[in-house]
Amino acid sequence: MSAGGAGGEAKGGYPPQTIMALGIVGGLVGIYLGNFAPPAYSFFGGLGAICATVWGADAVRRVASYGLGTGVPSIGMLALGMGILAALFGLSIGGPAGPIVAVVVAAIIGGVIGALANKVIGMGIPIMEKAMVEISCAGTLVILGLSVVIAGSFDYASVVQYVVANGYIALIFIIGGMGILHPFNASLGPDETQDRTLMLAVEKGAIALIIAGFASSLHEGLMAAGLNMLIGIVIWYVAFSKHYALIKRDAYAVVGSGMLPSSEELQ
Amino acid sequence: MIDAILGNIIWMALITIGGVLISWSVHFVPVGGAPAAMAQATGIGTGTVQLAAGAGLTGLVSAGFMMNVTDSLPLILASGAVGAMIMISVTMIVGTWVYVYGVGVVPSSAKVKVDPITKYRQDLYVSQGTEGHGLPTVSFVSGVIGGGLGGLGGSLVYYSLIEVGMNAGLEAVGVTNSVTGHELVAVAAIFAIGIFFVNAVIPSYNIGGTIEGFHDPKFKKWPKAVVSSLVATILCAIVAVVAIAQLGGI
Repeated sequence: MSAGGAGGEAKGGYPPQTIMALGIVGGLVGIYLGNFAPPAYSFFGGLGAICATVWGADAVRRVASYGLGTGVPSIGMLALGMGILAALFGLSIGGPAGPIVAVVVAAIIGGVIGALANKVIGMGIPIMEKAMVEISCAGTLVILGLSVVIAGSFDYASVVQYVVANGYIALIFIIGGMGILHPFNASLGPDETQDRTLMLAVEKGAIALIIAGFASSLHEGLMAAGLNMLIGIVIWYVAFSKHYALIKRDAYAVVGSGMLPSSEELQ
Repeated sequence: MIDAILGNIIWMALITIGGVLISWSVHFVPVGGAPAAMAQATGIGTGTVQLAAGAGLTGLVSAGFMMNVTDSLPLILASGAVGAMIMISVTMIVGTWVYVYGVGVVPSSAKVKVDPITKYRQDLYVSQGTEGHGLPTVSFVSGVIGGGLGGLGGSLVYYSLIEVGMNAGLEAVGVTNSVTGHELVAVAAIFAIGIFFVNAVIPSYNIGGTIEGFHDPKFKKWPKAVVSSLVATILCAIVAVVAIAQLGGI
């Protein structure tokens, strides 16, 4: 819990614009491919969700480096709280343009909440507004992506029937939130590096795809569910191996420092 | 879309009031975070968001249970408030047992010299190097008030969203077991949860760390959070009402 302490700007690694482009383009392309391709290819929605998870985790990393005073998990929960409202709103009025409408609405809600946090509550974090817009959009894309995996499309009626009405939305809420809030929460500290945090986000996104794939067996049949889970497991294995390699790179060697000097040696 | 908003303007106002109540309630709940888990600060050893969400979701469940048997708004609100108050009281009393009999500390606050309710001296019992520990009487009472307000707000939001759905031509569960009824309950519940999390996080940024209850100096900051929640919830209410009204067309 980063209570109270005022940190500073997060440093190093890929620039925010690159990650943002990956999140928006990757997320939307994945969601649209998952929708228009045959049901067996609904895993594309999961790939979009993984891109959005990485974006969300990077935005959390940048804003939480300043020290929120409440712990990192709160911002992940806020992301999914805003995301769920924007996602269902976008699908309800957007039709084929649903995900784009959802992202625009998420940006508006996130911008207003970020401005309130900075101007009214007075948090004084320079990137708060921008980061809130990014986190809100990322949360929306994660929910949409995982919904496409389960329902096979982002049609409002299908999503409400196959994802919301049977309660899978609660599952998406928690695993999607974990992907966004957990990577920085687990890696924060003086030796935090961006590539290690983001690789953890990929791994969490892959676990979300595996679980959503499991849930998709109810509506899409065992073949599509098996393919979803297989792709999730492959991505998880690759990401976990890379994350483990990065942990070994960042872990410090244990060096023997010898005995403490005796009083004679200190003379 | 505009028709849906204009037709449900009363319910949108109630949703906004519910969101503001949730935001206000968070300031009453004694939150200590990680220091409290180590008995180095007063309050429950977890974050604001988790506690507020817990109280509100319990309120939502008990309000939903009451909606099975009646559709009277006062009874539903009372059920939601009492459910959340029971939940937060149980959490606090078990926490106090752990602090008193497990950790071996006296519940005492370092922020006031005497407890505003019992008038007992506090400063004599505070361990050195801590900001108080356990849950003194004033924090407990404050937490129960907070739970009640949170449950009231949560059930108000949920009830209003269900009414919006019924206006759009959907039916509630209990009247019929049709699939649309279940969809309405699920959509209203998930929107209530989304609104709940937004309104639990905004005040936790206002508090920034720990709060002991209404005697805490940080309690004076609540108007800022309430104004922020008001604006944020109006936006959320518009989004939720339009999305639920669209359910009537499918």
